[in-house]
Amino acid sequence: MKTYWTTWAILLVLTVVMLWADAAAIPRPAFVVFMLAAMATKASMIAANFMHLRLERAGIILTVIVGLPVVATLLYVLIAPDAARIHQMMAAALR
Amino acid sequence: MAQAAQQAADRWSGGVCPFDAGWRKVMMWWFIVTDGLLFAGFLASYGYARLLSFDWPDQASVFSLRYIAAMTFVLITSSATMATAVHAAREGRMRAAGTFVLATVAGGAIFLGMQAFEWRTLIAEGARLAVNPWGDRAFGAFFFLLTGFHGSHVLTGVIILAVTAIRAARGLSKPDGIEMAGLYWHFVDLVWVFIFTLFYLL
Repeated sequence: MKTYWTTWAILLVLTVVMLWADAAAIPRPAFVVFMLAAMATKASMIAANFMHLRLERAGIILTVIVGLPVVATLLYVLIAPDAARIHQMMAAALR
Repeated sequence: MAQAAQQAADRWSGGVCPFDAGWRKVMMWWFIVTDGLLFAGFLASYGYARLLSFDWPDQASVFSLRYIAAMTFVLITSSATMATAVHAAREGRMRAAGTFVLATVAGGAIFLGMQAFEWRTLIAEGARLAVNPWGDRAFGAFFFLLTGFHGSHVLTGVIILAVTAIRAARGLSKPDGIEMAGLYWHFVDLVWVFIFTLFYLL
């Protein structure tokens, strides 16, 4: 029971820190890295502690923590270069 | 040593229970993974639109981020009450479990109310699926798509949990059923973590 409310407190602190970072004048690359790291930490804590994923067998853990993020990343990485290229073409046409 | 290796091999060779979990839990995890992929597709296409955009609005000027943080607080708290409900159910304290499930339902309902108010405010300011006063028109589309799909999941969760709470009060719920409802609810919270960061903050 203590684990759940400790997780809750950490999630809230992380949310407040993210809001603070949003208001602070942090360079964009550092800001993006920090936000993605905080997001991954929060997601991992919810999955591990609230959903009890850390207590499951390797088959379920691997399907979730490898399968889902890998496919999600691929979805973005495979289309992102196209978006960047079209953005450049549009910028050139506007000049 | 050899026995442990044999056991591990047996787990991966199929057998009666390769995941060492009941079929309902395995099916719920599979549902979570596939539903997670649906949201991953939405968020990837949102990332695509952001890369393409020349005039994506500054979120802090459109939304009250403190209000969105309050919505996040409500959802995270409801996840903690749900986890506590599952814990109580496992210990056989079904009455306490039902009470915590009810608290979770209240959290979900508050979140939905807050989201409805946010939608109403933005619509009053001129936001639509294809138009908005803040620049790139994809902004409105992705706002309604992402928060709408997430909101529909919250609504589904609230209904499932309300039924679970009623069943628990009548002594019909089993710890397994409460755990499955909890897994779904935490998934809804998990998705919000991504939407909150990627759509509202980045």
